[in-house]
Amino acid sequence: MRSERVEEYLEAISKRQKTEMPVSTSSLAADLGVSLPAVTDMIKRLESEGLINYQHNKGVSLTAKGSRAALTTIRRHRLWERFLTDILGLRWDKVHDAACRLEHAVTPDMEESLAALVGYADTCPHGHPIPDKNGHVKEQDVRPLSEFKVGQRVRISAVVKEEARLLREIEKLGLKPNSVVNIEKKDDDGTLELKLDGQELRLDKATADYLMAIPLSPSEKAAEEDIPMSMLRTGEVGVLKSYTGGRGMLGRCLSMGFTPGSTVKMVENFGSGPVLAKVHDVEVALGRGMASKIMVTRVGSEC
Amino acid sequence: MLEKQDKKFIVALAGQPNVGKSTVFNLLTGLSQHVGNWPGKTVEQKTGTVRYNGLTIQLVDLPGTYSLTANSVEEQIARDYLVTEKPDVVVALLNAASLDRHLYLISELMELTPRLIVALNMVDVAKQEGINIDVKALESALNMTVIPMVASKNRGVKELVEAIAQKCTETVDTQAAGHVELGSEISNDIAHIEGLLIDEDTSPYPRHWAAMKILEGDSQINKLLRNRLPPERQAQLDSFLSDKESAAITLAGLRFDWVKKMLSSAQEKPGAGRVSLTERFDHVATHPYWGLGVLAGVMAVIFGVVYGLGIPLQNLLQVSVIERAQNLVSYHAQFMPDWLRSFLVNGLLGGVGLVLTFIPILVLFFMAWGFLEDVGYTARVAFVTDRFMHLLGLHGKSCLPLFLGFGCNIPAVLGTRIIESKRARLLTLLLAPLIPCTARMAVIGVIAAAIFGGRAIPVTVGLIIFSLLVLIIAGLLMNRFVFKGEKAVLMMELPLYHKPNPQTIGIGSWQRTKSFIKRAGTVIMAMCIFVWALSYFPSGNITSSILAYIGKGLEPVGRLMGLNWQLMVALLTSFVAKENSIATMGIILGTEKAGLSQALRGMLTPAAAIAFLVAQVLFVPCVGTMSAIRHETGGWRWVAFSIGLQLILSFSLAIVVFQIARLA
Repeated sequence: MRSERVEEYLEAISKRQKTEMPVSTSSLAADLGVSLPAVTDMIKRLESEGLINYQHNKGVSLTAKGSRAALTTIRRHRLWERFLTDILGLRWDKVHDAACRLEHAVTPDMEESLAALVGYADTCPHGHPIPDKNGHVKEQDVRPLSEFKVGQRVRISAVVKEEARLLREIEKLGLKPNSVVNIEKKDDDGTLELKLDGQELRLDKATADYLMAIPLSPSEKAAEEDIPMSMLRTGEVGVLKSYTGGRGMLGRCLSMGFTPGSTVKMVENFGSGPVLAKVHDVEVALGRGMASKIMVTRVGSEC
Repeated sequence: MLEKQDKKFIVALAGQPNVGKSTVFNLLTGLSQHVGNWPGKTVEQKTGTVRYNGLTIQLVDLPGTYSLTANSVEEQIARDYLVTEKPDVVVALLNAASLDRHLYLISELMELTPRLIVALNMVDVAKQEGINIDVKALESALNMTVIPMVASKNRGVKELVEAIAQKCTETVDTQAAGHVELGSEISNDIAHIEGLLIDEDTSPYPRHWAAMKILEGDSQINKLLRNRLPPERQAQLDSFLSDKESAAITLAGLRFDWVKKMLSSAQEKPGAGRVSLTERFDHVATHPYWGLGVLAGVMAVIFGVVYGLGIPLQNLLQVSVIERAQNLVSYHAQFMPDWLRSFLVNGLLGGVGLVLTFIPILVLFFMAWGFLEDVGYTARVAFVTDRFMHLLGLHGKSCLPLFLGFGCNIPAVLGTRIIESKRARLLTLLLAPLIPCTARMAVIGVIAAAIFGGRAIPVTVGLIIFSLLVLIIAGLLMNRFVFKGEKAVLMMELPLYHKPNPQTIGIGSWQRTKSFIKRAGTVIMAMCIFVWALSYFPSGNITSSILAYIGKGLEPVGRLMGLNWQLMVALLTSFVAKENSIATMGIILGTEKAGLSQALRGMLTPAAAIAFLVAQVLFVPCVGTMSAIRHETGGWRWVAFSIGLQLILSFSLAIVVFQIARLA
């Protein structure tokens, strides 16, 4: 087994490589919080083991072998983070440091069990992809939130800086990986005004720099729009959003369980006539007129 | 204070529709129950007595409700009962297989009564669906006694009675009237509304509770206040409520959150991906085409039984009981005065007696109805037929009662009870007597065979189609002109299918039959005697009676449809029971049954025969149906409307048909 130090270095280089290629020794020293001479010593050792290439005065880059080793460590790190939040119930701002220590004490068998335990999750709690067993990573074309334009609708994918204070602040705003936000306004100082589930919130530029996001794909956008429940096809599932009907029907809808936020599964919809929907585990028949006054967001299908 | 043994405790049974309330009620009370209507409402009220350990408990079955906001008459009845009668204990019956939904009612019940017992029915179905319920955990989460039950298998009933008895004798309330956590915003809103009201404004409802219901937009409480509040306070209230439109949604959301919290440690449930057996069968039963096929099959079986068993039984009763008794009286009671004999033979036996021979058919229909209801199929029928019924401004729930009408209009009228919307119920109830029932089919059969011979079948089918067309047109017109406004909207639960419970079906059918027999002895008897008196007095002979006089008076109308006064009288006597027409013809024409065909052929041209049949099919409802209409609408007003409507339809269409047929 490789030593902890080696793994730490590989991990750091791998992460740095996304923005800097090759990685300068000074960046590495900063990331790892060690002195430059210490870095130089370690680089020599890594090169001799065939894990990195070193170009004098330029920096280092991982070899295929090194990259593979780095990904394994990253995988273990992120699986541990998942375990700590999902299974042990720790908060997401408390898991990074613990995972840094735990990641080195893992055998391949343990790694597999850990992955199974967290349900083969494909991202860490902060939204970064977990490489699979074979070292493949599902990278997405993400950009910092601060780089998007006003009016764009984007999905937050990850928080790049896993610093406790920052994470707590983000959590307090209600943002998390997979949140979908609208960029409403951008001040001169780069402060963003966002809309999340109808709520306005402000985000300074520094924080926005650390949040990675991707624009919604056209199909996601289409799926996001509220549609009348009568347009859900058989087998599709939607989340109830609002009512367009009068107050008269409201009471009955609510007591039958059609409350905003509840999941509705379309059991039968033949395009005309009444529909059959399942809500709170009970099948309810609804006239088409009524179903067309209940607005839902399509979230998927089960058939 | 009264001795414990002497005190009668009042226990109310509450629950959502389709939770098996009648089954539990029947198990607890057996046959010691009384079925009536809630005061001033056409909603069934069942009360019964339970005796246990020297305690006398009166059990009151509240109407099935999803909530206690007055969205329907049922909900209003249920909550008014809880508020005004303050039962000693309220038993809430929940479906263990869909607790997410059923606990919602508890969240409302606990606001009105601190003395709740939770009966968890259908724990077997829940297990079958893979749902695990921890009763102890649920008890401690709710702070209420929870009794698991399988009512259909008589399990848990003893425990429930024990729990009720214990709660009845408890002197202190172990739980306070509670409510779900409302959050500061809603609590403040409620407090504000409460501040605008005084106790007298909301009585008999508790002020706090009423304030919450006002926030929820409860129409009944709002109406109540509108009548009581001075204008300035009403204005204050209105202005406060003007931007509280979404409070109802928020509150419902809070209730469901509470439910989720109650269940978090008490229920384990398989993921949503599971497709239940019910869902699988519904793929067929609710399909627009296959569903109709299933419906046709079910109807075929029911009518097969009615025709194979009910009608022969009715015939047997008519021939071997009624007619034999009539003969007996006619030949062996010569000592009686003529009028008495005629009264017995024609008024009682030929009237009420004849109506009573329909009991086997009625019982079969009541049982078929109870079966379909108990299995959970009636809701599917409503679903499949909704699209057609919509054309008439009705929804699918109207379909099954109308279907039953082909057998007998009486269960059809009684069956309209399942329709919640008052307007849709009335419309269905008025359309039901236009369905050609078996008695009318018998008359058509005799006359069509006599006049049209080999072409009798196409004539009969034509008449059925004709009367259905009339029904559709009458429905459209009434929908347009008589019952304007509110359209029928379909919104109903499709319950899980389950195994029918013979006791539930049996007791239900018995109650309905009993109520019919009771009416036969009162309303129906009175009407029969009235018709008999018309046909007897003053001369003792129908051909010179008041009825004949009326018939002759109607002759100018009759002539327009090609009918002489004898046939008009035959038509009038179908008022008692539709097949009376044939018997009356026999009497007036002075022939036995065998000679009737010949006499009819001599008297009726084909055009007049068609006109007579049209008039007969659409003629006023029979006494049994009328008494059912009265029973269901709570008065004579709609009976009169129905008579008027069908009289006009019957005569005007018969005239049109005759005039056209004569030319052809």
